[in-house]
Amino acid sequence: MPSNRADVVVIGGGISGLSTAYYLAKAGKNVVVIEKGVVGAEASGRNGGMISERTDEPDLVPLAVESVRLWPTLDDELGYPTEFVQAGRLQVAVSEAEMDRYLTEKKVGVRFGVHVDVLDPHEIKDMAPFVTDRNLGGIFFPKGAHANPQRTVQAFAWALQDRGGTLLQHTAATGFKLSGDRIAAVETTAGTIEADTVVCAAGPQTALFLEMLDVRVPLATARAEIIATAPLEPLFECALVGNGLYGRQAKKGNLLYGGGPHEWIDVDLTGDPDKPNTPLIRNIARRLADLFPGVADVPVIRSWAGVIEQAPDSLPIIDVLDRPSNFVFVSASAHGFAIVAATGRVVSDLVLHGETSVDISGLRMDRFGTVSPTWREELGWVPALL
Amino acid sequence: METKPLVVVGAGTAGTAAAIEAARAGVQVTLIDENPIGASMMAMDVPQFFGRRTMDTVSDKDVMLQRVTAANGALAEAEAAGVEVQLGTCVWGAFRNTDTSRKLDGPQLGLADDKQSWVVKYDRLIVAAGARDLNFSFAGSDLAGAMGANGAHALLSRYQASTSRRMIILGSGNLGLTTARMALHSGVEVVAIVDVSPSVRGDGSLLQELRQNGVDVHNSHTLREAVGSEDGIESVVLVAVDESNEPVSGSEKTIAADTVCQAIGLVPNIELLSLLDCEISFKSELGGYVPDHDERMRTSVEGVFVAGDVAGFHDGMVLSPEIARNQGRLAGLAAAESLGAIDETAALARRTEIQAEAVAAQPVSVHSAWNEWLQSLVNAGGLDVFACECEEVTRAELIELQPPRYLNWQSEQMSLRSLQTQLQDGPVNPDQVRRLTRVGMGECQGRRCREQASLLLAAESGANIADVPFMSYRPPVRPLPLKVMWPHDETEEMRENWVKWFVPVSRVLG
Repeated sequence: MPSNRADVVVIGGGISGLSTAYYLAKAGKNVVVIEKGVVGAEASGRNGGMISERTDEPDLVPLAVESVRLWPTLDDELGYPTEFVQAGRLQVAVSEAEMDRYLTEKKVGVRFGVHVDVLDPHEIKDMAPFVTDRNLGGIFFPKGAHANPQRTVQAFAWALQDRGGTLLQHTAATGFKLSGDRIAAVETTAGTIEADTVVCAAGPQTALFLEMLDVRVPLATARAEIIATAPLEPLFECALVGNGLYGRQAKKGNLLYGGGPHEWIDVDLTGDPDKPNTPLIRNIARRLADLFPGVADVPVIRSWAGVIEQAPDSLPIIDVLDRPSNFVFVSASAHGFAIVAATGRVVSDLVLHGETSVDISGLRMDRFGTVSPTWREELGWVPALL
Repeated sequence: METKPLVVVGAGTAGTAAAIEAARAGVQVTLIDENPIGASMMAMDVPQFFGRRTMDTVSDKDVMLQRVTAANGALAEAEAAGVEVQLGTCVWGAFRNTDTSRKLDGPQLGLADDKQSWVVKYDRLIVAAGARDLNFSFAGSDLAGAMGANGAHALLSRYQASTSRRMIILGSGNLGLTTARMALHSGVEVVAIVDVSPSVRGDGSLLQELRQNGVDVHNSHTLREAVGSEDGIESVVLVAVDESNEPVSGSEKTIAADTVCQAIGLVPNIELLSLLDCEISFKSELGGYVPDHDERMRTSVEGVFVAGDVAGFHDGMVLSPEIARNQGRLAGLAAAESLGAIDETAALARRTEIQAEAVAAQPVSVHSAWNEWLQSLVNAGGLDVFACECEEVTRAELIELQPPRYLNWQSEQMSLRSLQTQLQDGPVNPDQVRRLTRVGMGECQGRRCREQASLLLAAESGANIADVPFMSYRPPVRPLPLKVMWPHDETEEMRENWVKWFVPVSRVLG
């Protein structure tokens, strides 16, 4: 039985929680991370591994830029490999609509000083000869990158332990003990742990924990899918997006690609939601074959699905509650991996100092105003009838 | 999309019997089998372990179709009973509606031949997908000529396309002995049967027959290595083992052979049942993880039945094909009854009739024997042998939890981590180990390394093998080229509504 007291209890052994815990431990805090299963079991370990400045989301750019700046230092910082590769991010347009979106991203890039090159179809073919002749051009972010989510999660978990932090896997948080306007302790399946501060980084379960504190946060959960091919000779090092897909070629040579319709689901507090794949993986395969016609012979050998939470504007939420006053929470709306190099520092700064130097003003809760109790139904963000 | 009343996956003894039983009860049955397997898939040793000892005829689909049909007399019987038979068709996916997969239009299967894929809906499903070869690695097991008993059976008998000349068989159970007999009948010289056990495990009269044909049996022996060239295996080194499965020094003998056939055991092909989330339990006497089923061969998922080796394989079944056939009949009957094709009374009568023909069997646990084999191979061959050939990860790298070599990563912190330190955070988790070491991540989809990895992890962690979960299965459960997976039947709606990622509501509204 672990010590029943900590400076900070972090709920959730995903990438945001572990990175926050790591920087808190590094700052000398006694930190306990509570994880209901194993680390990175949900979106943190199952995402596409993309890292970029996210000029498609203006409010996210300052945090994403800071993350892109810090990412190259992570392997050395943690002492474990993340499979980080910084060779840019190429976005290929296969439709006019796609190209229009890319040009908007270029404009946002200019506004924030993010370098973005606009490429014509020939320049795309020069960079990536295997891309379809039907491409209409695209954009390139020289600082785009990618890494291996599973390795990165494990690297943070191990580095946390190396810094003296505690990781409790197979332990679920089940409630809070309040004392006045503060949380006195977190109740878990392994007993009650007293804490000065609680960080909630519970991914799909975030809204359920906030509900216990009478706070309604607009987060819905969804299941999304990715396919993996057998390894190919090295084709490209950059992250390569287009034809409605996002993905990369892993260092081993496998193409990993996701995209397409997601499905809204419900989750419960302590369970591990099933993450089946569906015949949608054929449609992903089709788009990949159409994007890279030259490699359409490569076999698909695997697929997987992940569960992620989404805010209506698809942006992370990072905030400190007024009441209880010692409760900080972070939810990433599927950006968690890209921003992780900054998230841990920003959230730990909020815990330690109540403020952060990175501009996260667009990521606070107040942007939603009053959240209607039926917001999911109003948006149609509800599971289909079974 | 078309809905089939009853799909039977696998046209082996059990599947064919199931199809015939249901068809005779008046059910419209579709019987699907991946044989003849495409030459490219055989080159990858998927789904059986063929060991690249194949004639060029395996590329001739028409010839292969004729041979597969000729080798399975019951297929003609099935067709005569009105069963729709689809050969050369693999089932690479199985999907059903669950809490987290609600939009699916009912239960369905992903199918493919070597040119295209498609999806069919079904009302009832009988999975009779058989079992695959248990495979352990040894120095030289990446050479052509290393194969499994099922692969050898397919090449020798079903396809008549084996190029093996001199075969060594590992395993002296009935699986090994029947493989030896089949090899002899096909004109292949069986130069040795090898087993770590002190005595032969299989049937005595079969053994006698083999001995009369000059087959040598080496008990209390294991394989140190196979030696060869780019043409494949040319010889093997056997070594005697003591009671602790340690090699006895000086006892090495080199034997010329071009094929090493592992006939140590078979592992039920539970991939589709796992995708359907059927209840699956560990039963060592049935080959490891097998689907739960009742006496009518119903699984925990409504409408899904099992029969034959996939429901659990034991060595006695090699000599008693009636066991699989009876299971097939029971499954076919239960499916027919659940579809209302046959009434309760008639079904009960028929079930009693089938059960009366049941063959008694006393299956025994296999994992301690498998473990002795593996330990002897490890003791004789060392830890620097690949545990996973696709990803080129050694046994040592697996149990040390090392990142793959291509990362070329070294740090003091990493050198202090191993499976042992990982166990402090929770029970051994093969999926997690797979993601960190890449064991099981390769093109054979882990078919060649799963059992070895699980046994090594169990031994290293001190866990009972029954408590080590199986590495998860994901679709496609056969490697499928992008262009084959490419959906010709994609809807306009899918194309129109495709989104790269979540579309923020503000953008949708404004």
